[in-house]
Amino acid sequence: MSQLELRDIRKTYPGALDETLKGINIDIASGEFLTLVGPSGCGKSTLMNSIAGLESITGGSIVVEGKDISTMEPKDRDIAMVFQSYALYPTMSVRENIAFGLKIRGMPKDEIQQEVERVADLLQISALLDKKPARLSGGQQQRVAMGRALARRPKIYLFDEPLSNLDAKLRVEMRTEIKKLHQRLKTTIVYVTHDQIEAMTLADRIAVLKDGELQQLGTPKEVYDTPENLFVAGFMGSPSMSFINVTVEQAGPGLVVNIEGSDGRKLALPVPDYLQGWAGKQVVLGIRPEHISQPDEQKRDSQMVAESRFTVEVTEPTGPDILAVIRLNNVDVQCRLDAEHPVNWGEEAELMFDMRKVVFFDPDSEKRIRP
Amino acid sequence: MTDMVRTGFRPSRIAIYGVLLLACLVYLIPLIVMLITSFKTPMDIRSGNLLAMPTDWTTIGWTKAWSEACTGVQCEGVKGYFWNSFKMTVPAVMISTLLGAFNGYVLSKWKFKGSDLLFGMLLFGCFVPFQVVLLPMAATLGKLGMANTTAGLVLVHVIYGVAFTTLFFRNYYVAIPDALVKAARLDGAGFFTIFFRILLPMSTPIFMVSLIWQFTQIWNDFLFGVVFASGDSQPITVALNNLVNTSTGVKEYNVDMAAAMIAALPTLVVYIVAGKYFIRGLTAGSVKG
Repeated sequence: MSQLELRDIRKTYPGALDETLKGINIDIASGEFLTLVGPSGCGKSTLMNSIAGLESITGGSIVVEGKDISTMEPKDRDIAMVFQSYALYPTMSVRENIAFGLKIRGMPKDEIQQEVERVADLLQISALLDKKPARLSGGQQQRVAMGRALARRPKIYLFDEPLSNLDAKLRVEMRTEIKKLHQRLKTTIVYVTHDQIEAMTLADRIAVLKDGELQQLGTPKEVYDTPENLFVAGFMGSPSMSFINVTVEQAGPGLVVNIEGSDGRKLALPVPDYLQGWAGKQVVLGIRPEHISQPDEQKRDSQMVAESRFTVEVTEPTGPDILAVIRLNNVDVQCRLDAEHPVNWGEEAELMFDMRKVVFFDPDSEKRIRP
Repeated sequence: MTDMVRTGFRPSRIAIYGVLLLACLVYLIPLIVMLITSFKTPMDIRSGNLLAMPTDWTTIGWTKAWSEACTGVQCEGVKGYFWNSFKMTVPAVMISTLLGAFNGYVLSKWKFKGSDLLFGMLLFGCFVPFQVVLLPMAATLGKLGMANTTAGLVLVHVIYGVAFTTLFFRNYYVAIPDALVKAARLDGAGFFTIFFRILLPMSTPIFMVSLIWQFTQIWNDFLFGVVFASGDSQPITVALNNLVNTSTGVKEYNVDMAAAMIAALPTLVVYIVAGKYFIRGLTAGSVKG
């Protein structure tokens, strides 16, 4: 049974010409971790506020456990939220912050005490209970903010970019922590972020939003391997997918696309048969950095690889591997090379194109061409 | 910076301190003259220098001003009027400050259609001169049956002060993140709970600003006091005026000065007690985070 259903959610701000949310449909299962990801201004925060009841919707319905809550007050929705700025009450101690919602709901004192201690244990903030938020570090404040949400044991948790105010190292730690917490507690979480790595690592499913429209809803693997359109393909993954305009050509029994390096060297890349209908036409080849690498003996047997030498324009060592830029058909294309075999910029490198996982897009509709 | 501190007595430093000391003196001399004159005997005042110390220190001026001096027909000193002023100022300050806090809360955290316009219009209240409202206010108080009462005077000061206190609190609350209110709403807190449990406890600095501002304004007010109060309900500012103007025989400057000091003391005390919040509170909210 789905825990939270968003049915055709629409939202237009008063006085605005365009809809901010243009009919969002998402079903979230009980215990599922869903991330809403998209560039700023895509409507993800509006959607989250709408679920929480902090903003009203102009159309559609929000259903929790079969009950329509669209018009309910935030306090009656049994939803907790963790804010980007943490929003801890500055005049209250950590203990009071966590207990506030329970007190208002009229929970008996000794139960509140127990609940605060349970949550403090869970998040390892027991030592901080009597401090004021201003005395805590960013990471500690983050924990308290989560504690406040956990204490109420709501049906649904909303996280509004909770890690974006932390420094890089702490962000990765907290990310792991949130994931652990979710695995332990099996809570239903909707998590808003603009960071696609956070989205990939945390989510059971990802909803990619752009301009108030749902672009794709799927598991991280689905979204990464089979993006619905050019936007999703370019947004998910870092470094992002490269897009090359190519023409599908018949070559003997199979199909190929031709690419040309900056030095004029040409290479025919084998493409799958489902592009038969596109023979003679232009398509957009979407290729991720890891699909272009130094030759790998094991892959050579496959029909779907091709090799040639290309001039490396830029190299960016990341430690485990080297990101190199080559120019194909006049666009920069990123490739991921083995750090054990360094290549310098300006040199030529033997590169292998693994065409098994590349994707193709219709240049007009920008949608992925399905097999 | 540290270099400048260490070298200490540069000519420029001396000049700065000199100017500051001079400014202090200019502001303090009237107070000093008042203070020492209030402890002199009438003889001493007539014979001596304005700035000279009293030859005989005496508190007769103070006791007379407090309980014997004539303010018009009655000769009971200013003590009754001093308490009148308290009875008027304390409720007026508290009510106008709380109303201002509440207005500020609504105008910053629960914006509605036209709330910014309303706030803009409310600000006009800060610029309306006292004299303009005298007649309509008198008519209103008359209709309400509150003419010549302390309650009426409180009402006038509350109405007049709300524009300022709203401005203070609204600007203070605008700087407080909205997420706090959202979090409280999700925690189940309602409109008033959020105000009393979350925002008001955060308001100490601006509360102090409003307190000092309103206390000084209302305590020192003369015009409303002289127009809207009479006889027994008059505030001390009016009594002081009557005391100084009631001259039968020799002018008792020591009594006048003591009465003036008595009238000025409460505002001084309030400023000293709450002053450290004043500057802090005035600058808070002016810089948005």
